[in-house]
Amino acid sequence: MQSGDRTKDAPGTAADRVAGAFVGLAIGDAAGWPSARHRSTLLAPWTRRLERELDAFAEEHRLTTLPVPFTLNQPVEPLALGPSDDAEWLAWTALTLHQDRAEAFTALGGRSDLRVRISVRSALANLAAGKPPPVSGHDNPHHFDDAAAVRAVAFAAAAPGSAALPDLVRADASVTNSGDGVLGALAMAAAVAVLVAGGTMGAAVEAALAELPGDTAIGHAARTALTAARRAGDPFAAVPALDAALVDHVYSYGVAAAQTVPAALALAEVSGGSLTAAVPAAACLSSLADSAPALTGALTGARTGLRALPEGWCAAARTLTGCGLPELAGADLIDIAGGLA
Amino acid sequence: MSLTRARGCLLGLAAGDALGRPAENLPPEEIARRHGRLTEIEPGKGGTDDTEYTIFAASLLCRYGAAMTPADVAREYREQIIPSIDGPMRGAGFSELGAVQALRRGLAPPMSGEWHQHGWSDGLAMRAAPYGIFAAGDPGEAARLVAVDGVVSNGVEGVYGGQAVAAAVAVAMTGAAPAEVVQAGLAAVPEDSWTSRNLRAAVDAVAAGSVERLYAAVVVRHYPWTDLAPEAVALAFAGYLMGAGEVEESVVSAANLGRDADTTAAIAGALAGAGRGEAAVPARWAREIGPATGRCLPVVAGRHVLDVATALYAASQNAHAPDDEAPR
Repeated sequence: MQSGDRTKDAPGTAADRVAGAFVGLAIGDAAGWPSARHRSTLLAPWTRRLERELDAFAEEHRLTTLPVPFTLNQPVEPLALGPSDDAEWLAWTALTLHQDRAEAFTALGGRSDLRVRISVRSALANLAAGKPPPVSGHDNPHHFDDAAAVRAVAFAAAAPGSAALPDLVRADASVTNSGDGVLGALAMAAAVAVLVAGGTMGAAVEAALAELPGDTAIGHAARTALTAARRAGDPFAAVPALDAALVDHVYSYGVAAAQTVPAALALAEVSGGSLTAAVPAAACLSSLADSAPALTGALTGARTGLRALPEGWCAAARTLTGCGLPELAGADLIDIAGGLA
Repeated sequence: MSLTRARGCLLGLAAGDALGRPAENLPPEEIARRHGRLTEIEPGKGGTDDTEYTIFAASLLCRYGAAMTPADVAREYREQIIPSIDGPMRGAGFSELGAVQALRRGLAPPMSGEWHQHGWSDGLAMRAAPYGIFAAGDPGEAARLVAVDGVVSNGVEGVYGGQAVAAAVAVAMTGAAPAEVVQAGLAAVPEDSWTSRNLRAAVDAVAAGSVERLYAAVVVRHYPWTDLAPEAVALAFAGYLMGAGEVEESVVSAANLGRDADTTAAIAGALAGAGRGEAAVPARWAREIGPATGRCLPVVAGRHVLDVATALYAASQNAHAPDDEAPR
């Protein structure tokens, strides 16, 4: 880590909490097992083909030793511990905050070098076909995912006290999502705004719940998750109950906002705002491990601020690799968070 | 006349289900490579979940009629479907599997249709035809009734897909022209919906004679699953229009468009069969349709769609009989 990075943002300041939200999200992103898979897109395609073939080999020969991403004849850096797609989309959002949201996304259209969620891919196709938001997010098979919930962290960090925050978040979320996908973004923004302003995790969770009507799937799940986690009393102890209460075992794309946002809220609250307690528990929800740890990290990092986060994790998570958005390779999240102030 | 339309509707549905089955999840080019033009039912294979869930929906209507509530449907799931699932649940759409999981968790409708992520599934559209038979000539009532069933397993666009099919079948049951049938489906769903946008795009693409344009407008390319109701219903209605409402041509057109081909061909067959009647279903197809095997839904094993259609027709006649409200 470069010296001086942390001197300008004293602990206890809003700027430190903004940096905490960003790096906390990246730490959670790095902690989940899917991160290494996302980062393997930086390797030659034949590496992933070989991985698929080895998976088939393991199936045929009844082997339990799974071929996780590896770097045969390749640079090893992409598969070291580090952030992946969610941290990059947070950074992209922070860097494009002041652009019209449909224009910002439309500018990504036609690119063949992006790796994106199904909701984002479908939204880009809709925009290219002349379907503007909110239709681009609505006529979308993964309208319910948490892509916008990740991006919402940037809006809340940039304008925590603004009365316009919900409108800004909705405008962004509606490009790629609708229904629970938009509600999840509003809830994350509301919670992060409270935390960046110095509020407690309890107050943040209350603010998030106020955005989640009880008769929606995400509202129902958030209340169910909080009840389960409070009963367990501790993030790690809550993992089995959250798995049973939240996870959809029928459909295995584990990025539904109605699952990941409630898991993050519940673990953040029951941890009292401790990233080192909440994020490992989120990473244990293996089917939600793509993004629930990242959202959990954003909440807990925003609560404690960057200075309270473990140094080794900050060092591992702050530098982006460009596995989803190649132009962000090498970008420093702490710098990007600082640019919001 | 209505009895033959009712029987034609469900026979057409079962034939489309069976004919489309080998084309499921394939693009048109691959269907052409394997089958040339797919026009025959694979002998001895029968239908899938589309037929069996349709029989289940018809049995709900026979039992509860127009007074059916979502709680009745949820209870039937708990009593008729869930206990017979021995191990894996076979041959069901995402929405039905999701609803079963939700009901097992103790959720009630409408949350049972919203808790899972597959509210958009075509699982309601595939079983919507009986609602159109029951409410023949009354598309509004068909759309209302199918949603009573639909909210147990589906949300928003998945419910709209079912409503479009049920309303269209209700009008097809009057012998209306295909364009009028499709308009009835469109009128049953909100204009600002994915289903409505796709249906309108499908009508335009068929009018322009362009399958390429149809695909560009309604097929979700960057998604591994084909059972999105807005896509499947649009392809089904397109097949029906391409076939000018004739049973054989409608079913074959829909099946050869691929994607969720068993469901789209089943819906096209239901619309065309309702319009043209039982005798219009090719005899060589009708011979392949036997009693349901219960492979997907054990509770319907042994029931033949033609008997189900006759019972459903009788139930609808009783429901509308003037002496129904006489004091007992």
